[in-house]
Amino acid sequence: MTGDGMFALAALLLHALGFLVVALVVPLRRLGRPAAYFSILCAVGSLASALIAWQRHIGGTASRLVWAWLPADGQTLTSVGVLADAESTIMLTLVALVACLVQVYSLGYLSDEPPAALGRYYAYQSLFAFSMMGLVLAPNFVQLFICWELVGLCSYLLIGFYYQKPEAARAAVKAFWITKAGDVGLLIGIVLLWHQSGTFDLLEMQGLVESGALPLAGLSLITFCIYLGAVGKSAQFPLHVWLPDAMEGPTPVSALIHAATMVTAGVYLLFRTEWLFALTPDVLALVAWVGAGTALLAAILACAQDDIKRVLAYSTVSQLGYMMTAIGAGFATAGFFHLLTHGVFKALLFLGAGAIIHAVHSNNLPDMGGLARRMPQTAIIFLIGTLSLAGIPLFGGFLSKEEILGAVWAGGMTGPFVILLVVAFLTAFYMFRVVFLAFFATPAAHDTHPHDPPMAMALPLWILAVLSFGIGLYFTVAGPALPFGPAEAAAHGPAWLMPVAVGSAVGGILLAWLTYQRRIIDAGALAAAFGPLRTAAQKRFWIDDVFEAAYGVVLLGFSRAIGWFDRYLIDGVLNVVSAWTLTSGDDLRTMQTGRVQDYVYGVAVGLMILLLWVQLA
Amino acid sequence: MGLQAYLTLAAIVFCIGLFGVITRRNTISILLGIELMLNSVNINLVAFSRFSGDVTGMVFAVFTICITVTEAALGLAIVILLFRVRRTVTADQLDLLKG
Amino acid sequence: MTGEALGFYCLSAVLVGSALAVVLTKNLFHAVLWLALALTGTAGIFLLLDAEFLAAVQLLLYAGGIVTVVVFAIVVTERLVGERISQTSRHIASGAAVSIVLAGLVVKAIMAGPLTSIRTPMTGDVTALIGETVLTRFVLPFELLALVMLAGLMGAIYFARPED
Repeated sequence: MTGDGMFALAALLLHALGFLVVALVVPLRRLGRPAAYFSILCAVGSLASALIAWQRHIGGTASRLVWAWLPADGQTLTSVGVLADAESTIMLTLVALVACLVQVYSLGYLSDEPPAALGRYYAYQSLFAFSMMGLVLAPNFVQLFICWELVGLCSYLLIGFYYQKPEAARAAVKAFWITKAGDVGLLIGIVLLWHQSGTFDLLEMQGLVESGALPLAGLSLITFCIYLGAVGKSAQFPLHVWLPDAMEGPTPVSALIHAATMVTAGVYLLFRTEWLFALTPDVLALVAWVGAGTALLAAILACAQDDIKRVLAYSTVSQLGYMMTAIGAGFATAGFFHLLTHGVFKALLFLGAGAIIHAVHSNNLPDMGGLARRMPQTAIIFLIGTLSLAGIPLFGGFLSKEEILGAVWAGGMTGPFVILLVVAFLTAFYMFRVVFLAFFATPAAHDTHPHDPPMAMALPLWILAVLSFGIGLYFTVAGPALPFGPAEAAAHGPAWLMPVAVGSAVGGILLAWLTYQRRIIDAGALAAAFGPLRTAAQKRFWIDDVFEAAYGVVLLGFSRAIGWFDRYLIDGVLNVVSAWTLTSGDDLRTMQTGRVQDYVYGVAVGLMILLLWVQLA
Repeated sequence: MGLQAYLTLAAIVFCIGLFGVITRRNTISILLGIELMLNSVNINLVAFSRFSGDVTGMVFAVFTICITVTEAALGLAIVILLFRVRRTVTADQLDLLKG
Repeated sequence: MTGEALGFYCLSAVLVGSALAVVLTKNLFHAVLWLALALTGTAGIFLLLDAEFLAAVQLLLYAGGIVTVVVFAIVVTERLVGERISQTSRHIASGAAVSIVLAGLVVKAIMAGPLTSIRTPMTGDVTALIGETVLTRFVLPFELLALVMLAGLMGAIYFARPED
């Protein structure tokens, strides 16, 4: 039924409308708040459409609404449109929800911005949401790639929103370049895949795969290339370095990037093409191991951060590693489920952190402390998010984490499973470290008087808090059947799995409590115990340094060589030639004496030469 | 005497005139050189005319003489004008054509 | 050696000699006189070529007209300068080289060409023939020539007008 696709399309186009109006109607944009209201209106409409679309497709029916595009050889090379099914519409709903809440929240968070900047911000926001929805609903790889790049562009624009700040500008460029490095892989993969299958269309290609018509030779390279794109976008090792730096953007932007739009794109891509990856187990194993490694690495890094946003950023990287591991283990649905729950509670955490930062005017944990009394609402909300992230029963994150651990175990990947258990422990530890340091520890000397955020900020927070708790409660009570996707063999781990997982989480909480609340374990001693590891973590495992060195030595060296070549050899040759031209012109000019006699003389010589030539030839 | 003898004579006189035009500094002297060159052309015309039995060459010689006379008058007028303006008749110093 | 050949060589010697004198002599006034001699020699050559009318025209217009005009010009400019105009030359060596080489090349070309040495007999009065041809076949160039002369002379008068 095409009518169902219309709602998904409407959700997509409403954001496009918001963007176009805010971007093109300059006076409106300059006004700031009216532009914001219009954009939020579009976002709310989009959320409503997305919800309806989700309801229509919850049964698993897919509707496809495409228009031909790029005519070639009498047929169409590719099309644009929407492919709405259970998975894409629920993702659409998540994007619409987070985008909408973030836009409302930003109204409070960015209230001090000048109007023109606010208008610009909302234009970017709408474009960002539109791009992500276009990606989610893409019926083929071409539209997917275009939206993929648009998402990258928007994240660049929003991370660099405070473009006067050099760090923000640098972080924006860094994010852009590093994701671009992965995107090159994605583009190559898409083109190779087209070469192999002759189509860009997702459904057609899935049909080919299921009928076994797709040649397997070289497919590993293709899936690896596509995976490279996901590595860049979803911040997997070694391309994760851009995500922590992306914190330079406004906090709501971080929430958007981390929860729904940017980084989830990679996981979504892999989830969307899992049937393709299933053909290449080697690459899947790589996905799993890299995912687990990333999860561990980021978790360790998160323990050593003092910046609240950076802790959250590394936790995102870590959780993305979780999702990737599940996909690599062959249970993409589990990863996708975690993607959804993570989207909700990570948005909640980031927005909560934003509320704290808004109140304290600092990102640093030592500047906080004792905030539970001053900002009770925020404390509750943040705690809900943290419990969810830590994977405590009854909260959203618990179910999906459980699902992932079960999936990895069922996938027979013992190594990643163990790593993920450790990560679960670390996650609980570093998140509660934040909670204890920020909300319960002895207050730092405040000049300001932190208080709970205004309505525009509090409302989205409460909605998200209720959702993250509600999802967990609903599934725990109503049973674990996932409301989307093909009824995959539910990855239930063995009976001991749940206690172990919860135990590791509780262990992490306990350690954090003992260290940072009760101070029974000295934080310094703990740090000393892991001395080398801590040092390494503070240096971010030297990965950034490696990139920097590669950039500084290889790329800059190469550029300098090219520059030298251009400046001295090419320019030199040109300069010599032009100097010759000038001097020879000057010399020739002296021939023009201006005396008629000399010209007669020249004629005579010319005549002489002519005669000589005629007679001698 | 054959045609070649006359043509050779004309060629020699022409080159003497050319030498005068190239080397003389005085404008009037240059004019004299030009007269010599034109004169040699006339010899050519008349010689060809005579040896081919066609009177056309001689008619052209008449024309050439007329034009030469005009040219001489005009040239001398220019020399006098030049002298008035530039106070010199030395061709070396007349280099307004210089680029 | 026939009388014609003798006359030709004598006249050639006079012509070449006086022409050289024109371009080499230092005195401008002498140069004009040498030119007059050269023009007269040319008139002699014309006579040798059975062109009596042209010889007459040559003497009248050239030797008479031009030389007079040039002498006039010399006198006028010398009076304006207030001193004798001396004749100097430049580039003598290279000019001579170019001229000599050029002459040699042209003469070589002439000698190489298939040229006749037989005079086609001309019937009737050459002068009458010239007059007839000028006023029949070449009447248009003739009229144009008249216009050119008129324009030239008017231009000369305009140039030489007294300063305002």
